[in-house]
Amino acid sequence: MPKRNSSRIKNKELHDSILVKKNSISEFIIEKLLFIAAVSSVVIIFFIIFFLLREGFRAFELLGIFNFVFGPEWVPVGTPERFGAFPLIVGTLLVTVGAMIFSIPLGIAGAIFISEIAPFKLKSILKPTFELLAGIPSVVYGFFGLVILTDWLRVTFNQPSGDSWLAGSIILGIMALPTIISVSEDAIASVPKEFKEASYGIGATKWQTISKVVVPAAISGITASIILGMGRAIGETMAVLMVTGNAPIIPSPITNVFSPIRTITGTLGIEMAETPVGSIHYSSLFGLAVILFAMVLIINIVAGRAMTKIKEIHHPSSRKKRFSFKISESQNRVIKYAILIAFLLGLAFEMYIWFNLTYSIAMLGMIILTYIILKKLSANYTQKIAFTIITLSAALIIFILAIILFDITSKGLPTLSWSFLTQYPSDIGRAGGIFPAIVGTLYLVAGAIAFALPLGVLGSIYLTEYAKEGKTTKIIRAAVDNLNGTPSIVFGLFGFAFLVLYLNIGISLIAGQLTLGFMILPTIIRTTEEALRSVPRSLREGSLAIGATKWRTIQKIVLPPALPGIITGTVLSIGRAVGETAPILFTAAVFSKRSITPSLFEPVMALPYHLYVLTTNVPGSREASYGTALVLLIMVIILYAIATLVRLKYWKTARMGSGSL
Amino acid sequence: MKKKKYALECKNLNLWYGENQALYDISMKVIKNKVTALIGPSGCGKSTLIRCFNRMNDTIDECKVDAELIFNNENIYSSNADVVKIRRKIGMVFQKPNPFPKSIYENIAYGPRTHGERKKEKLDKIVKKSLEAAALWDEVKDRLQKSAMGLSGGQQQRLCIARALAVEPDMILMDEPCSALDPIATTKIEDLIDELKKDYTVVIVTHNMQQAARISDYTGFMYLGKLIEFGETRKIFENPDEELTEKYIMGRFG
Ligand SMILES: Nc1ncnc2c1ncn2[C@@H]1O[C@H](COP(=O)(O)OP(=O)(O)O)[C@@H](O)[C@H]1O
Ligand SMILES: [Mg+2]
Repeated sequence: MPKRNSSRIKNKELHDSILVKKNSISEFIIEKLLFIAAVSSVVIIFFIIFFLLREGFRAFELLGIFNFVFGPEWVPVGTPERFGAFPLIVGTLLVTVGAMIFSIPLGIAGAIFISEIAPFKLKSILKPTFELLAGIPSVVYGFFGLVILTDWLRVTFNQPSGDSWLAGSIILGIMALPTIISVSEDAIASVPKEFKEASYGIGATKWQTISKVVVPAAISGITASIILGMGRAIGETMAVLMVTGNAPIIPSPITNVFSPIRTITGTLGIEMAETPVGSIHYSSLFGLAVILFAMVLIINIVAGRAMTKIKEIHHPSSRKKRFSFKISESQNRVIKYAILIAFLLGLAFEMYIWFNLTYSIAMLGMIILTYIILKKLSANYTQKIAFTIITLSAALIIFILAIILFDITSKGLPTLSWSFLTQYPSDIGRAGGIFPAIVGTLYLVAGAIAFALPLGVLGSIYLTEYAKEGKTTKIIRAAVDNLNGTPSIVFGLFGFAFLVLYLNIGISLIAGQLTLGFMILPTIIRTTEEALRSVPRSLREGSLAIGATKWRTIQKIVLPPALPGIITGTVLSIGRAVGETAPILFTAAVFSKRSITPSLFEPVMALPYHLYVLTTNVPGSREASYGTALVLLIMVIILYAIATLVRLKYWKTARMGSGSL
Repeated sequence: MKKKKYALECKNLNLWYGENQALYDISMKVIKNKVTALIGPSGCGKSTLIRCFNRMNDTIDECKVDAELIFNNENIYSSNADVVKIRRKIGMVFQKPNPFPKSIYENIAYGPRTHGERKKEKLDKIVKKSLEAAALWDEVKDRLQKSAMGLSGGQQQRLCIARALAVEPDMILMDEPCSALDPIATTKIEDLIDELKKDYTVVIVTHNMQQAARISDYTGFMYLGKLIEFGETRKIFENPDEELTEKYIMGRFG
C-alpha cells in the first residue's frame, strides 16, 4: 500500500464506498430550482404564442381567412365595418422593401468597410458606433422622422405632406442598418484567414480578394443579415406609425412613394386601445398580429437556415459535408445575383425618386456600362473605385447618425436643466419637467429586469447544462428564437389582452413591467445560452474529472467566463426596455400623473410614451420633446457604453485565454 | 509468481453513441501501480474506452454503456454509484491541456477546495506537493498567482496533471497527454509518468507506439472498437499473438 494513502484509507475506507451516494441535497434543490425556472420560462413563451394564435384564429374563423387576408378594405369603424388586411399587408411589405433597398447596399458596404478596409483603431470605434444606431429608441427615430425628415421631404419634393411610404422606408432603412452591418460583419470576420492568404498568395489584389473570396464565403451570413434586418423593419411600430401617414390604402400608382401608407404594426398601435374586447375588430387585430407573427417566423426560419449554413461551411461537420457544400454553392450564386439585382434596382429606385423614370433608366444603363468597363480596367483601378464607393457609404452612415445625434443634442440641450429633470410637467407637457416620466421608466425597467433576469438566466442554465439535448430542447430553442424576433407591439398586444383585460389587472405599472419582462425574456435566455456555450466543454470536463459536482462546476468554472456575456446581454436588454414604447402603450403608460409613489396597480408615466404623445398630440411642445428625446438618448447611450466596455474587457481576457495551445 | 492486484477490471463493455456501437465486448484488467497503454489507429475507440473508466462519457447525452467495471470490489456502472466520488478517485488528464482561466495556484487549489479543504496552509502545502509531483514547481513557484493561460503547452499539461494529483486519486487516466506537445515537453511528461507509477495506477492512451513501448508495462491494442489484444508490453511489441497487432506494430497500417 503506498504510504500517502495510509491515513486516508484508515478512517475513510468504511464509508468511502462509491456505491453510497454522498448526501447532495443542495445539488438536488439547485437542480430542481433551475428546472422550475426553465419550465416557467418555457411555459410563458409557449403561452404567449398560444394565446396570440387562439385569439387570432377567431378572426380567421369569423371572417374567413381568405377574406381577411385579401380583403381590399380596412374600415374598422364604418358601416358596414370591413376587415380586409390586404392594404395593411401590402403597406408593410412596401415599407420594408423600400427600407431594404436603402439599407442593403449601405449596410453591406459598411460591414466590408469595418472588417476589411478600416484600420484597426477606426474599426474599434466604428463598431460600437454603428451598434449605437441599434440602441436609439424607435420613438426617437419616429420623432426625428416626424420633425425633420417628413418636413424635409415635403419641401424638397414639393408635396402636400411628407408623411409617406418614402419617409417610413428611410427611417426603417436606418433602423435596419445596424442589424445588417453587425451580422454581415461577423460573417465576414469569420471567413478563415487561410482563404484570404491563399488569394493573396496567387497575387490577387485586396479588392479581388474581398469580392471574389471573402464576400462569397460570407454570403450565407450576409443573407441572414439582410433577412434579420427585414425582420426588424417589419416588426417596427412607433417610428413607422409616426411618419407614414397611416392611411390604409395601396399607393396608386404602386410606385408612388409619396403616398401615405399603413402597416400592420401601425394599425395595432393605433387601434388596439380603443377596441371593445370580444368584438370582431378586437379579434381581427389579433388576426393581424398572427399574420405579422407568421411573417417574422418565416424570416427567422430562413435566416436560421442561412446561419447554420455558415457554420457548416467553416466547420464542415463530417457527415453531410459534400452534400451541403454542393447545395450552398449553387444557392450562393443565386443569392449573389439576387443581391446584385436588388442593388441595381435600389439605385434605379433612388434615381427615380430624385429624378424621373427616363433618367433612372439612363443612369442604370450607365452603371451597367461602367461595370462592364470596370471589368476591363486594371485591377488596381477597380480597387480604387470600389474602395472609394465603400468608404463613402460608411461615411454616409456616420453622417446619418451624426445628423440625428446632432439635431437632438443641439436642440435638446437648451431644454435640459436640473428643473427639467426634477419637476412635474405643466401646460400639458409644454412646460415644466419630466420627473415622473423618468421615475416611471426606471420603475418599469427595474420590474422587468427583476422578473426576467433570474427566470431567464436560471432557466437557460438548466437548458444548456442540465437538459438532455434532443427534440424538446430544439423546440424550446426555436420558440425562444421566434419570440426573440417577435415585434414588440405583439408583446404589447399580449400584455394588454391577457394582463390588463383577461386577468383584469388594468393599465398598471405591473402590467407594463411584466410585458417588458416577457419581451426581454427570450433575449436574456438567448444571450445567456450563447455565453454558456462559448465556455469550452474541455473546462467543464476538467472540473468534473477531479470530482467536482455539476453545480460546483457551473458555479466556479462555467459562470465566471460566461458572466461578461450575460452582463452585456442584460445591459442591452435594459437599453431596449428603456426605449420601447409599443409594449407599454396600452399596458402601463399614461400621459400625466401627479404622484410618483410606486403603486404596482396604477399606471405610470414613461419617457418614450411621453415623447410619443408630446410629438403627436401636443402642438407647441417642440422644446419639451427635444429635451425628452435627449434624456432618453443619453440613458440609452450610457447603457450601450457600459455594454461595450464590458465586452472590450472580456475580449482582452478572452484573448489572454486563447494564448494556450 | 505472486498474485497481481487489479486496480480496475473491465468486463464485457459495450458502448453505443446513439445507434452506432463504438465499443464491442471489451474485457481487460488494469494492474495496480503499473502503466497500462491503449494503442490503436485513430477512431478505434481509445478515448471512448478510457472515458468509461471514470464515467466521463456520462456527459455525452447520446452515449449508452453496458458494462461491469470493478473498482475496489465495486461496480462503477452500478446504478447507485456516485459519479462524483468515482471521478475523485480516478483522475483524468485530457488530450488538449485544459487549465482553468484562473491563476496557477487556483487551478490546483480548486480540487481540494471542492472536496472541502478550506485551510490556507493546508492548501498551500497541497499546491506545492502537487506541483512538485508534476515536476512543475521549480518553473512556476515564483508566479503562482499568475494566470495559467500564460504557461507553455507542456507546462499547462503538467499543471493539469498536478491538478489531477491534488485530489489524491488512486488512478490517473491520460488521453493522449502528449499529442499537443513538442518533443522536449513530451519527454518531461514521460519521465513524470514513470515517477507517478510508484504511487498511482496509470492508464494512458497514445497513438505513438514508441511512447507506449517506452513507458508502459501493459498494452492493449484496439481496432474498430474491439480490444484485439492485451498483455505485457514486451510481449505485445515483440511477439504478439494476433496478426492484426503485428501488422499495426510493424507500421503496416494505421
Ligand atoms: N461524442 C460522440 N458522438 C458520436 N460518436 C462519437 C463521439 N465521440 C466519438 N465518437 C465515435 O466513436 C468512435 C471512436 O472515437 P474515439 O474514441 O474518439 O477514437 P480514438 O480516441 O481512438 O481516436 C469514432 O468512430 C467516433 O466517430
Ligand atoms: Mg482520441
